[in-house]
Parts: sequence; structure tokens; C-alpha cells
Amino acid sequence: MRARALAGFAAAGLGLSAVPFFGPPAFYESFLYLVFHWIVLAVSWNILSGYSGYFSFGHGAFFGAGMYTTATLATKAGVPFLWTLPLAALVAAVFGIALGAVVFRLPRLRGELFALLTLAVTFVLATIVLNTPIDGGPGLYLSAVPLPAIGPSPSSTFYLLGLALALATLWIAREVQRSRLGTGLFAIHDDEDVAEVLGVPTYRYKLAAFGLSCGLAGVAGGIQAMFISYVTVGETFSIAVPLNVVLMSVLGGSRHWFGPAVGAAAVTALLYAFTAGDYAVAGHAAVGLILIVVILFLPEGIFGELIGALKRRRVPAMPPIDAAGLPAPAAWPGKPEGQALLEARGLCKAFRGVQALAGVDLEVRRGEILGLVGPNGSGKSTLINVVSGHFRPDSGRILFEGRDLARLEAHRIARTGIARTYQIPRPFAHLSVLENVALPAMFGRDAQARADAEREARRWLAFTGLAAKAMSLPGELNLHQRKFLELARALASRPGLLLLDEVFSGLTHAEIDDAIRLIREIRARGATIVFVEHVIRAVMELTDRIVVLSYGRVIAEGDPRAVMREPDVVAAYLGKPRA
Amino acid sequence: MLEVERIRVSYGAAPAISGVSIRVGAGELVCVVGPNGAGKTTLINAIAGLHSIEAGALRLDGRDLSRLPRHAFCSEGIAIVPEGRRLFSGMSVRENLELGSYRRAARAGRAGSLDRVCEVFPILRERLEQPAGTLSGGQQQMLAIGRALMAQPRLLLLDEPSLGLAPAVVLAVFDVIREINAGGVAVLLVEQNAALALEIAARAYVLEEGRIAAEGRPEALLAQADIRRAYLG
Repeated sequence: MRARALAGFAAAGLGLSAVPFFGPPAFYESFLYLVFHWIVLAVSWNILSGYSGYFSFGHGAFFGAGMYTTATLATKAGVPFLWTLPLAALVAAVFGIALGAVVFRLPRLRGELFALLTLAVTFVLATIVLNTPIDGGPGLYLSAVPLPAIGPSPSSTFYLLGLALALATLWIAREVQRSRLGTGLFAIHDDEDVAEVLGVPTYRYKLAAFGLSCGLAGVAGGIQAMFISYVTVGETFSIAVPLNVVLMSVLGGSRHWFGPAVGAAAVTALLYAFTAGDYAVAGHAAVGLILIVVILFLPEGIFGELIGALKRRRVPAMPPIDAAGLPAPAAWPGKPEGQALLEARGLCKAFRGVQALAGVDLEVRRGEILGLVGPNGSGKSTLINVVSGHFRPDSGRILFEGRDLARLEAHRIARTGIARTYQIPRPFAHLSVLENVALPAMFGRDAQARADAEREARRWLAFTGLAAKAMSLPGELNLHQRKFLELARALASRPGLLLLDEVFSGLTHAEIDDAIRLIREIRARGATIVFVEHVIRAVMELTDRIVVLSYGRVIAEGDPRAVMREPDVVAAYLGKPRA
Repeated sequence: MLEVERIRVSYGAAPAISGVSIRVGAGELVCVVGPNGAGKTTLINAIAGLHSIEAGALRLDGRDLSRLPRHAFCSEGIAIVPEGRRLFSGMSVRENLELGSYRRAARAGRAGSLDRVCEVFPILRERLEQPAGTLSGGQQQMLAIGRALMAQPRLLLLDEPSLGLAPAVVLAVFDVIREINAGGVAVLLVEQNAALALEIAARAYVLEEGRIAAEGRPEALLAQADIRRAYLG
């Protein structure tokens, strides 16, 4: 697959780089250079913003940083033009990573705030450049900087530079999309918290994507500085760059590495075709109209819709799956059952004055099924959220295999062998059911390669009865199936400790019977299970011990039948005696 | 009061329910049971105007509802507790409840309804000024039920009201449903806890694979062995 793609890129590169040697008019070379220029900007923007959904309106800042790096070094320090380009990439990338290192730590800066912040950074940078010796106001002239003769003419040199960078950018974007980094970024796009809990190092991945994206924009800026040969703050840091880039990516399709290139080529060609003549204003209006129509009728973008239509036409035939070949969930050889696997000591967590956990002490023993019950709001889900790293505890310790998890990032907790489900299912909406389940296998303890992860995911789908839905999107599943998708996703990381949050709720009597069999089988394969549940029948049939929480404290624990008869438990939880 | 006549609703090409007819009389409590994926949520959402109907008719007191815009269902006196709660999570508990009484007929009784809801779910009174998103899952379910009650509906649609609630609260919720029904409100209840639902319902439908498989009085349905095994064990 990769060899074929490489051959395709090489053929495109060779073919297109031959164009200048046929002596086309300089004007066409310059136009094609501009197409390449916008392809680089749109495709590089897409690596962070399209894949992960962090819409940046600051691409102009990084593009500008590259532009001014080249202009400054070439005019003031006498550095040869080509040597300035790696430095332009470096300056832009470092600038992006420094910004990301601050911004990506703050969960509230997702969505619109991130877009606004990156836009603001553009204007701050413009002000700095304008009022310091970097520019100082008059702009920088590069007309005296010598241009290396790569092609037969100056315009062909720019054409070849642009072509090389565009191909390199497309290759990088393609490789990122197909790598673990890309898988992680697409998961972040749909639900960042869940991605982290499944083992994706979200912070590092966002930084890496941002660095790549900014570095490539920096090189594009360096070449553009030389192309226009007169660099000013007003032109460089205008809102036009990010707006064009966003538009091109959305138009082409931002969920595929090639989409933004299609959008960039289309918009550049349209602008040229309609605004080159005498009716420039009417031309702009026409381009706007075309864009509106495309966005209305092709919401996935031109290229995205095309790919989608192709995929629908050839649904891959799935070979039958042998559920019996299921891998065993993680086990710890040589360690006896019954010993403490997880210990919580004095766990506290408050939300806006509500004390959700008020000093919980709890032990989960290796190989057992522990039921966690209690009134609504007693802290059961919070406990799961704290153990899985979704929230950090205010105080207290969580010892797992003797290691304290309380200050560990969620993706590191996932790699120790802990998996969880969510009470209201939170699948990655744009990933297929199969991809949803393969992701934790790729990022969990065993960090499997994609092909192995998908094979394993199919087994877990067969195990949970979802095999027929492997290629569907989660939105096509009903609530019951979405719950089992949660379960399959948690199992795919082969966890040693499985935390289940209300997997039985909303099931009919017969369906509960099936689910009970499933949970028993999971335990038989060596996993330890904690489950939060209100379906008392399931609690009684499955659990070895139960712990009752009320107002964030443990009020009872022990044998299920004995605990369920305790008057406190009946009063606080059951309402009337059961069992 | 409510007449659903041979309706069909589809997602994409495959119909989720087709040829489904049910009827809820004035002041009647009717429940729908069935396995997951049978189309119960689709049915209740269609009655609430959340899905458009492809074929068939939907009438409330003889008036055709299928041509009404979505928001008008509320002013007709239909309230729903939807699957997945669908609260306004950034707004306070009080604001969520007050929005429930948005329809003209319910505004006058707002203070009384609020008191009544807080009586049933005392925890909501403690949390009135807190954002709904900070409630626990079960508390959010209580709020969703409370919001529907605030509308003082003529027809109350409940999609799995017991989902995620502690056993004691489930009992309280079913007491309230029975009480509301006794006050003359017609109720259509979709519920997996079939034992409880059939206990309070006057009539029931069994929905399987998008079609009505059986209907009748709960005692009659439970006399059929296969239904008994599937839903009560």
C-alpha cells in the first residue's frame, strides 16, 4: 500500500516537474505556484485542525513567522535563500509548540475559544513585528536577494519549489492520517476525554500535530516571501490567510489528507477564472455563491463525499470470525486470587461545593466481581471517574498493583490495564464501530499494530453480538447496542480491571440474562470487575461482594445477601426489602 | 384520546416501525414493552413530534397532528421524558424546570408544579440553583421527569423513566406516575422494568421488530408463557 502510494507520488512529482522544461508562459507557472502554495497551507492546517477538530484561525501567524524569518535572514544576515527555509520551518514550529504547550493544557480552551485565541495571537505577533526592528513599519524588500536557478527561469524555480513542498506536505499529511498519531487525532476530534481514558496521550499528540502544521506553514511563508519580494505586516498577518485556508479545507473535505488539496486547487482556480477579467466584483460574488452551494449540498466536502460514495459502493466482505479464539484479558501470572488489586484510601472529590466523595476507603480483590450500589448521587460514577483518571481526586490515594494512580494522567492509567465504560455511551461518532473498538487495542497496555488491533476488535464485536454492525457508525445503533459497544471497547484493551457503569440498565429480562452470561465469561478469562448497577437481580446474581455508597461514604460492604438486608441500606437505597 | 394509525417511520432505507397502530384513551395508562431495537423509542418520539411520519395518521382528540410543526406538540399538551435525558446542561435545575412549564396553559401553575416536583424528588430542591450538568446521572433522570411534569400535560410520554434510578427512587417515580394518571392525565409508558410497568398499566402493547406483536390487559398478556418468559423471567 505504502510502496504503491510512494510510486504514485514519485510519478506525480516527476511528471509535474517536467512541465517547466516545455517552456510554458511564465504566467501559468506563477498561477500553478499559487495553487501549490495554497495546497501546502490548507493541507498543513488540516493536520491539526481537520483531524483533531481544533479549529485554528492562527495559521496566518505561523505562515507569517516563516515569511519574516526568511525575509530577515536573507536581507539582514545575508543567509542564502534556500538555507533560510529550514529555519523558517523551525521558527514557526517552535512558536506553535510554545503556544500549544500553554493552550492545550487548559481543557476549557476547546472549540470557539481556541479559534479566537489563535486569531488573537496573529494580531499580537503582527504588532510585535511592526513595532520592533524586525520590520519597523516600511516592510522588507527581497528584490536584491539572489534566487537559486533551480528551473530554467525564476517563475519555474518557484513552480518547482512549490511543487516539492506541496508533495512533501501531502505525504506527511497522508502518513500522519495512517499512523497512530492520526488515529489518536481523529479520536480527539470526536471525544477528547474518552480518547485520553482509552490510552491516547492527547496532550502530546496535539502538540506534535500543531508543530508539524506550523512548520510546514513556515516553509510556505519563506518561499512566499521570496515570491512576492516585498513583505509587509498588513499583507502577511491579514485575516485572509486563515479564512481561505479554513474555507478550502472544509470545501475539499477535512477528514481526509487529500481533501484540502482539492479545496485549495478549486478555490484558487475559481478565483483566478472569475476575477482575472473585467468583472472582478461579480466574479467574487459568483465564487461566494458556488461555495455556499457546495457547503449546503456536500457537507463532507467535495472529496469527502466522493470517498464516502466509493466506500458505500464496495462494502468489504468480512470473513467469519471465531469468537472462541478470543485473547484472554490481562492476567497476572503467579499472583493468587483474593489479594487486593486496587485499594482506595481516603478518596475525596468535590464539585462546586457538592462533596461527591467524602473519604472513600475501598478494596477490590483480584479475580472478584465487586458490585457498587447506592442512591443516585452517592458518588458511584465519580469513583469510577476518579479511578480511571477522568477526574483527579482532591485528596487520597489509589493504589493499583502497589502503584499510586491518583496523580497519573488518564492515558497512563489506561496502560496499566484499567478500562471503563460510560453510563451514557460515548462512542467516537465519526469512527466505525470496528474503529471504535480497535482504538483501545492500539493504545492500551499491549499497544498493538492497527491490523492486529482490528482483528482483535472483530473478535470482541463477535463476543458482544455486534459483529454485523462492524462497519456501521455508532449513530445507527440503538441504546442497547451502544451499551455493548462500550463494553467491547473496554474489553479490547485486555484490561486486568474492568469498571462497568450501568451496563444493564434499559435491558429486558431476557437481555439481562445474556449480559450476565457475558460478564461471567469475562471474569472467567481472568479479569477483575467492578460494576455500578441498579438492576438488583444482576447485582445479586453476579457479585461476590458489594459496597454501598451514600453521600460519598461507604455505609456497608460484604456479602450481597447480608448487606441488602441491613436496615440502613434498605432505607437509603432499596425503599423496601429485597432478596 | 390519542390514535396512532398504521404509522411507518424509517431511518435511511430500513423502516424502524411500520404499520403500528396504538390507542390511548382519555385518562388511560398504557405501556409498551418489547426487546431493545424493536422500535419503542422511535414510536414514542414519533408521537412527540421528534420524528416525521412517512405513512399513517396521528390524531389527538380527532385532530391530525402529523402536519403540525414540532413545537406545537407541546402546546397541544403532549410532554415527553426522552431517552438520554436531553437536559439544558448549562442552565440551573430551576431554569430547566421552569422551561418545562413554558406552554401557556402551564405557566399559571408554575409555582405549584415546582413545589410538587420538589416534593417527589427532594434532592432537586437542594440543587435548584446548580447547573443541571453537575447532577449525577440518576438525578438528571429525575430532573427530566420533573421537567415533563412541569408542563401539566394532558398526555405524558415516558421513555424508560426508571433508567439509572436507584430502586427506592424507581418506586417513588412509579407512585407519581400512578398518581398523575389518577388525576386524569393520559400516560404512554415505555419501560424495560416490565414487572412494574405491567402492574400499573391498564393496557399494554408488545412491540417486536417494528410491529405490534400482542396487545391486551396486562393479566391477559402475562398469561401467555412466551411473553412472561421474555419480560418477567
